[in-house]
Amino acid sequence: MTSVLIVDDELFIVELYRDILQLRGYRIVGTAFDGEEAVRKYNTNPEKPDVVIMDHRMPVMNGVQATKEILRMNPKQKVIFVSADVMVEKEAREAGAIEFLPKPFRMDDLIEKMQKVAAQ
Amino acid sequence: MTEKKATRDRDPNFAYYMDLLSHDVVNNNQAVLGYLELILASGGLDKKARKYAEKAVSHIRTSTILVDNVKRLMITRDMDPADFKPVDLMVAMNRAEREVTRMFPDKSFNVKLPSDAAEMKIIGDGAAEDLILNMMVTMVWLDPSETITLVLKTSETEVKGKKFWQITLEDPTARMPKMAVDRPLEDAFKADSSIAVKVVGMLFCKMISEMLGGGFEVHELNKKADPRGAAFVATLRKAGGQ
Repeated sequence: MTSVLIVDDELFIVELYRDILQLRGYRIVGTAFDGEEAVRKYNTNPEKPDVVIMDHRMPVMNGVQATKEILRMNPKQKVIFVSADVMVEKEAREAGAIEFLPKPFRMDDLIEKMQKVAAQ
Repeated sequence: MTEKKATRDRDPNFAYYMDLLSHDVVNNNQAVLGYLELILASGGLDKKARKYAEKAVSHIRTSTILVDNVKRLMITRDMDPADFKPVDLMVAMNRAEREVTRMFPDKSFNVKLPSDAAEMKIIGDGAAEDLILNMMVTMVWLDPSETITLVLKTSETEVKGKKFWQITLEDPTARMPKMAVDRPLEDAFKADSSIAVKVVGMLFCKMISEMLGGGFEVHELNKKADPRGAAFVATLRKAGGQ
């Protein structure tokens, strides 16, 4: 079962992803509401997720920075970047995100990316 | 001091707040869209309820495009025309086709794109891509049919020594609002907003086209037919066509 860490500063978005991913058989190993919390949880949790779903615009530390920090700890970590800011796609990919989804996206698109990334 | 710079200096935080607010709207739209998809996928919906949910999906996607349009107008207004980068017209048309098909799950589409594989580059950055998308979305809103045929054509034209690409979008079953038929589109800027709101999609296309140094016109396709259909014609600067 693919495990996921969800990072987004909006509780309702975290709940949405959690509802949908759990229904589709994914296991949520953690949630974080800003980049710093994501990095801290990633660092301290002994179980690393198969996939991180990362938002960009968050307080304390943004998604690009958090992606860089996580990949510094584990260069093989798979990060799917999701953002309403399409302009940030290039920066996110340069930081190491392997997929980018512009909000709003269809949940089927997210699942498709999850399957693709998990299979890599 | 240029007029654009004066505007930026007067309201240094305005674009920033607009950006924050629109970001929130998009996040909320994401949640509505996601839960609608869950409802649609959960089964047990009768045909009518499914249709209602599909219509809601269309509206939430339209809402997102409208928010994007507000942002796009602000960004484009503040940009120096020399900063607009070239974009591939074929890529923009393919993207618009995908988006529109996804936006209206309760309708079926027959989209005909130009087969010409020659490189067609227009000046306009993301604004030009948004323009093509908005032409298609606006046209779909004018067409109540269950199955919609959209025909995109391109041709080269020259005005005062400058080269342009002309992009024509036709829909034989669209119904043009009376105001857009009876009066020049410019009048909508001055008219009562309760009337102008009927042509707001076309106005957006016109504003963006003109900001990009081109133009935008609308007309009925066939005055003898019923419905008469509609055609939108955008003229955009050709990359390297000075």
